[in-house]
Amino acid sequence: MFKFIHTADIHLDSPLHKLDRYEGAPVDEFRQATRRAFENLVQLALAEKVAFVLIAGDLFDGDWKDYNTGLFFVAQMARLRDAGIRVFIVAGNHDAANKISKTLRLPDNVITFPTENPATFRLQEINVAVHGQSFASPVVKKDLSIGYPKADSGFFNIGLLHSCLTGREGHEPYAPCSPEGLRNKGYDYWALGHVHQKERVLGEPPIVFSGNLQGRHARETGPKGCMLVSVEDSPRVDIEFKPTDVVRWLATDVKVAGSESGYDIVDLFGRRLIELLDDNEGLPMAVRVRIEGETHACDEVLADLERWSNEIRSSALEIGSGRVWVEKVNFKLTPPSSIKRLKHAEGAIDELLKLFNELAAEPESRLRLATELSDLEKKLPRELKEGVDAIRFHDPDWLGEMLDQVRPMLIRRLLKKGTTE
Amino acid sequence: MRIDALRLIAYGPFTDVNLDLSKGREGCHLVYGLNEAGKSSALRALRHMLYGIPERSADNFIHPYAKMRIGATIRNRKGDVFVYIRRKGRGHTLRAIDDASVMEEAELQKLLSGVDVDLFTTMFGMGYDDLVRGGRDIVQGGGDSGQLIFAAGSGIVNLTEIQNDLQLQVDELFRPSGQKPKINAALGRLSRNRRELRDAQLPGQEWVRHDAALQAALNKKKTIEEELIVLRRDLNRLQRIWEALPLIAERRELAGELATYGNAVLLPEEFAEERQELLVKIGIAETGRDRAMKNIAAHQQAIVTLDIDTGLLDVAQQIEEVYRELGSQRKAAKDRLALQTRRNTLLGEAREILRSLREDLTLEQAERLRIKKNEAVKIQELGIQYERIITRIEDAREKLPALSREITDIKKDIGALEAPPAVEGVRAALAQAAEFGPLEKQNRTEQVDIMTVRETIAIEQSRLELGHHNADDLEALEAPSADTVKAFEDRFDVLQRRIDDLGRDIGKTRGHLQQVERQIDAHRLEREVPTEEDLQAAREKRDRGWQIILRRLNEAPVPKDELKAYVSATRGAQNLAEAFEADLLRVDAVSDRLRREADRVATKARLLADQTAAGGQLAQLDEDFVSAETEKKDLSAEWVAVWQPLGIVPRSPKEMGQWTRRFRSLTEKVSEVRVRQTKADALKEDIDAQRLKLVQGLRGSSGPAVAVDESLSGLIKRAQKWVQDADDLSLRRGQLLRDKARREKELDAAQSRLEQNEKERREWQQQWEEAVRSIGLTAKALPAEANAVMDDLRSLFDKLKEAGILEKRIAGIDRDSDAFVRQVDHLMAAVARDLVDRPSDEAALELHTRLNRSREARSKLETLQKQLAQERGRLDQARDDILQVETRLMNKCQQAGCNSADELPEAERRSNRRRQIESDLKKIDTRLHKLSAGATVEDFIEKALALDPDGIAGEIDRLTAAIEDLEIAKSELDQTIGSERTELSKMDGSARAAELAEEFQVILGGLDNDVAHYARLKLASKVLSLAIERYRDKSQGPLLKRASSLFSRITGGSFAGIRAEFAEDGRPVIVGVRSDGGNIVTVEGMSDGTADQLYLALRLAGLETYLNNNEPLPLIVDDILIMFDDDRAAATLQVLAELSHKTQVIFFTHHRHLVELAENTIDAAELVLHTLER
Repeated sequence: MFKFIHTADIHLDSPLHKLDRYEGAPVDEFRQATRRAFENLVQLALAEKVAFVLIAGDLFDGDWKDYNTGLFFVAQMARLRDAGIRVFIVAGNHDAANKISKTLRLPDNVITFPTENPATFRLQEINVAVHGQSFASPVVKKDLSIGYPKADSGFFNIGLLHSCLTGREGHEPYAPCSPEGLRNKGYDYWALGHVHQKERVLGEPPIVFSGNLQGRHARETGPKGCMLVSVEDSPRVDIEFKPTDVVRWLATDVKVAGSESGYDIVDLFGRRLIELLDDNEGLPMAVRVRIEGETHACDEVLADLERWSNEIRSSALEIGSGRVWVEKVNFKLTPPSSIKRLKHAEGAIDELLKLFNELAAEPESRLRLATELSDLEKKLPRELKEGVDAIRFHDPDWLGEMLDQVRPMLIRRLLKKGTTE
Repeated sequence: MRIDALRLIAYGPFTDVNLDLSKGREGCHLVYGLNEAGKSSALRALRHMLYGIPERSADNFIHPYAKMRIGATIRNRKGDVFVYIRRKGRGHTLRAIDDASVMEEAELQKLLSGVDVDLFTTMFGMGYDDLVRGGRDIVQGGGDSGQLIFAAGSGIVNLTEIQNDLQLQVDELFRPSGQKPKINAALGRLSRNRRELRDAQLPGQEWVRHDAALQAALNKKKTIEEELIVLRRDLNRLQRIWEALPLIAERRELAGELATYGNAVLLPEEFAEERQELLVKIGIAETGRDRAMKNIAAHQQAIVTLDIDTGLLDVAQQIEEVYRELGSQRKAAKDRLALQTRRNTLLGEAREILRSLREDLTLEQAERLRIKKNEAVKIQELGIQYERIITRIEDAREKLPALSREITDIKKDIGALEAPPAVEGVRAALAQAAEFGPLEKQNRTEQVDIMTVRETIAIEQSRLELGHHNADDLEALEAPSADTVKAFEDRFDVLQRRIDDLGRDIGKTRGHLQQVERQIDAHRLEREVPTEEDLQAAREKRDRGWQIILRRLNEAPVPKDELKAYVSATRGAQNLAEAFEADLLRVDAVSDRLRREADRVATKARLLADQTAAGGQLAQLDEDFVSAETEKKDLSAEWVAVWQPLGIVPRSPKEMGQWTRRFRSLTEKVSEVRVRQTKADALKEDIDAQRLKLVQGLRGSSGPAVAVDESLSGLIKRAQKWVQDADDLSLRRGQLLRDKARREKELDAAQSRLEQNEKERREWQQQWEEAVRSIGLTAKALPAEANAVMDDLRSLFDKLKEAGILEKRIAGIDRDSDAFVRQVDHLMAAVARDLVDRPSDEAALELHTRLNRSREARSKLETLQKQLAQERGRLDQARDDILQVETRLMNKCQQAGCNSADELPEAERRSNRRRQIESDLKKIDTRLHKLSAGATVEDFIEKALALDPDGIAGEIDRLTAAIEDLEIAKSELDQTIGSERTELSKMDGSARAAELAEEFQVILGGLDNDVAHYARLKLASKVLSLAIERYRDKSQGPLLKRASSLFSRITGGSFAGIRAEFAEDGRPVIVGVRSDGGNIVTVEGMSDGTADQLYLALRLAGLETYLNNNEPLPLIVDDILIMFDDDRAAATLQVLAELSHKTQVIFFTHHRHLVELAENTIDAAELVLHTLER
């Protein structure tokens, strides 16, 4: 009987994305998350006395150049060496792009698979054969698994492979292959990397993505960690997911239909947050909040988004006892249908409302407004203009979303006399 | 929408306060309330009534939240009325008037045409502060026309401020060329962070380079260290020998000297010191011995001279007692003298008092005068009683004449009053007539109304052409029923429709016919279409020609006429050939045309057929038309006949339908007026009857005279006054009589009290006489005299008592003095007979002095004896010490082998020198042993002496230099190793770069939010500007025109108006135009007040524009005129009154003078005044 750990997509020293710091945000808890998650992994390997650790690619971030990251990795590997634990690595697309790995001197317990052809390493004392091949370049479009040898009879065969399998959303289609192709090799376990969401493909033998060790942004939500595999009576295996993340990313929707005031909304958020805290064992959390629904508080909140975002944050501070970082608050509120305007009158304010309606209906008119923002646009770093949550000054939809928020804010500023008592 | 009523049921300071706002066309309502009357609360209530009471309302200081209620009746232009109660709560706060059933908020919102609370407050609420802010905002914005017009159209008072505020927030976030704004700062941090990150990242090659350098340095260092070990060993050995050479020389010298001192006795080290000490000790002991002997002799001499009296010392205690007593004795003698003087004075005073009371008595007999306690009390009480009785008697004597005078006065008043008349008859008549008084006026009005109605009836009657009938008979007239008229109307209609149809058909048919004929003509005019007949005719003519030609060819004769006729029949032909050719061509042409124009031929045939058919149809229609006209004439005759009985020539049935309806209404009116007339007449009769009764009543009671034409109500009023006067008179008389009776009763009582008091006084006199007898007074004595006597007696006995006490104290002092003398005499007899003749106090003093002297002498003797014993002890001790020291010195001499103590110093010196030499030798050996590094001292010395001493120093220098060189090289290597290690330790897997990358993401996160915020603000600012421009373009013309006229009015003509101009920077602005000379005034040049008024004019113009296009909402004005002078305030009030034609205006004010100003300025039909009270 022996145990091993299957992990992948460690992306050491890759930072957590776009966390806006505010007074009371749990800054210290969020420091060096990927390193600490990796330390957790090593600790787990030592505690479970595993025979070996498999790393299925993407140890480092492709464009990360700091050799210190490599040295940190070496130090951790040395801990495993001292405990007699072997480590098998295939390089992934990020590793192929990375310069650190080229010069790094690894301890002798770490075995990196070659890039030219698949290779096999055998652990005679426990009858295990590990087959693998590293990425030679950052882009590998051919099916690497085809070249993997047939299973060694009398051994527990493991395939270590960095691959998108048949393709997974949000991930580059590298080293594509099919579950059937993998099964035909007759191995006992396929340890896959590249896809950040953990997954076990249906059927036998197990074809497993361990997912990444630590979520790094608002789209890598939920528990992250590695697979602890116990081989009791070969080829029967027991696969257990072990979280290693030190910070957890979550996205939550708060339904606020029927609420009467901004403070009601903050209360509803608070209740939701208590549930999240219970579900996540007190781990520090980065939460993206989406407040949604038909409410009387719509105007009140949209009139001052900054203020209500801050109210949400301070509620999180209070309830989360300093362990919750509210990454972003998105408000999708609509006024209750009963109080929508019955009729449009012919006044100055109505001219403004008409203008807003026109802007809502005509994408070209919205685009004309984008020139107002061109001064800023020139100075924005590219990191803000790329990706799913990018700022898109020239996208009519993005402008429309902004205008939906501008409208109540402006009306409230103009007509705030009525709210004084 | 307008508010008909606002009910402050339970709100703020109000409980069930109603404002009836239903009067006026729309109504210009002026609500006046003093400060604290709750004006602001009422204003708030108005808004809360429409839009709900806010969750944290402060208006619950009387009524708790659950009880707060505002009621309202509101109505829109269509006349929909909405009555409800607003309560405070989180939902369903609208209730019906029963305060129970829930009403839908949406229903109310419909009446408000979707205007929400913000818009309502902004647009339809206007307070003084708004005016000031609006004015200030105009100046701040420099009169920008777009802003002004937008502000006027919306009611926003601080548009410029809002725009500036937006811009300010934008600027705080980002400026294209700034450093400080939040986003600029973040961008700066971002690029700094990028640089730092680049620097912090460790390139892999560098680590490899440093690692190699470290290894090389370490290897080199190892070699140098090995060399150093060898060199150091050699150097060390040479240095030891070099150091040992002087020691070896010294060792030899000492060994020589030791031979000289080898036989010296080694004395202990402390020997010399001990000898010195013994010599000192002998000296001290001898000095002590001599001093003791001298002291003993002196003490013995002193003892012999002392004098001590033991007899005195035996009685020392008694002498001390006497001496203590001496002080008391002397003080008592002094006191006795003072006591005696005091006693004599008291006795003298007592004697004096006694003499004033009874000259016959001595002091010893005075005791007889002492009276008992109860007797004294009795006399005092009687004295007090006397005062009381006398006061009462005097009181009563004063009161009696005053009462008699008052009674006389009242009697006089009664005599002056008239006797009241009997009024009961009149009162009864009044009671009956009272209810008819008000009816009388009503009856008169009713009669007038009836007259008016009758006149209306007469006018209507003649309008209905029924002037020839008596008005009262109208009801009896039988006019044709509405049905009959309707039937006629229908019949006329049917007939007329038929006639009209026929006429139209005739017209149409005739038109058709004419059209057909026109088409036929057209055909004809165009060119006659050839017919078959034409072809036939042409052929015949051709054939005729051909026959002639045939005949010519056959040379048959052709008659000339025939030929000629033939040729001439053909136009333009000169001869047969030409004629025939023409005929030939003609036949061809006709036949061609026939073939070619077959359609035209057919059309022409159809037209001709149509013409025939239309002719027939027209004839039939004309016939029908005539028959219908006849029928109509018959129906008209029948219609006239129906109206014959009323004597009316009817107009059309439709008109007469109207007539019948009016006739019916007229007859209804006639009937109604008849009923009303009957009732009014009956009432008049009743009133007259009542009047008569009242007149009779008055006459019967000789009441006031009655004018013939006096109205009942006038009469009632006068009769009531008369009855009232009579009642007043009786009341006054009764009052006076009661007063008189009361006074008489008081007089009787006063008299009887006086008699009672006189009696008490007599009884008192008797008791008094008895009481004062005991103190020797007669009955005539007054209480004051008795009191004086008693005071003297008290004083006399007090003095006697004090004198007695003093006597006793003097006796006590004399007793003590005798005892003292006896004691002193006794002592003198025992121990000092020489003093017997001296007075006791002197003797006591002398005894005491002698006693003290003896005591001192005795104490001195004791001291001397003690000292003598001590000195004897010291003498013995000194002698012992001397003996002991001498013995020890003898011992020392023996130890040193000396014969006497004088030889001891030389022995000591020799011993010391021997010891010194031995010690030095031992030290040198120890050092040599150390330097020998393990060899024996002798071997070491041998080896050292074997070396050339002159070469050693040079060899040492050489070795030292070589070692130094190697050390320097090693140290340099250490530095290299250190720095390489430092470099490598920096590369210890530090997370510095990773943290910078994290920081980079944090800055990005912040930027992400700020950029969105910036975009929102920037867009808001832009959209607002666009809306302002658009609204200006749309509304500028009419709005400015109206505002200009309002501004002129509100400023009382000081300005002619306003107009749009361009400022120097080309901005469109609004400026004021002066009336005198048309000077232009920019908004910056206007006074605060004028700017406020400009804002007001624009606001009102904006409001009017709104009201022209939308359902109106009430304008709520809060004391905007407080800073206006009266002229401008009056002008503004008029403008508001005019505005109230378009919408309800509710004006709240604290200022009484504004109310008066409004009353004087605004038409009473438009102004509705309300006073606000809690």
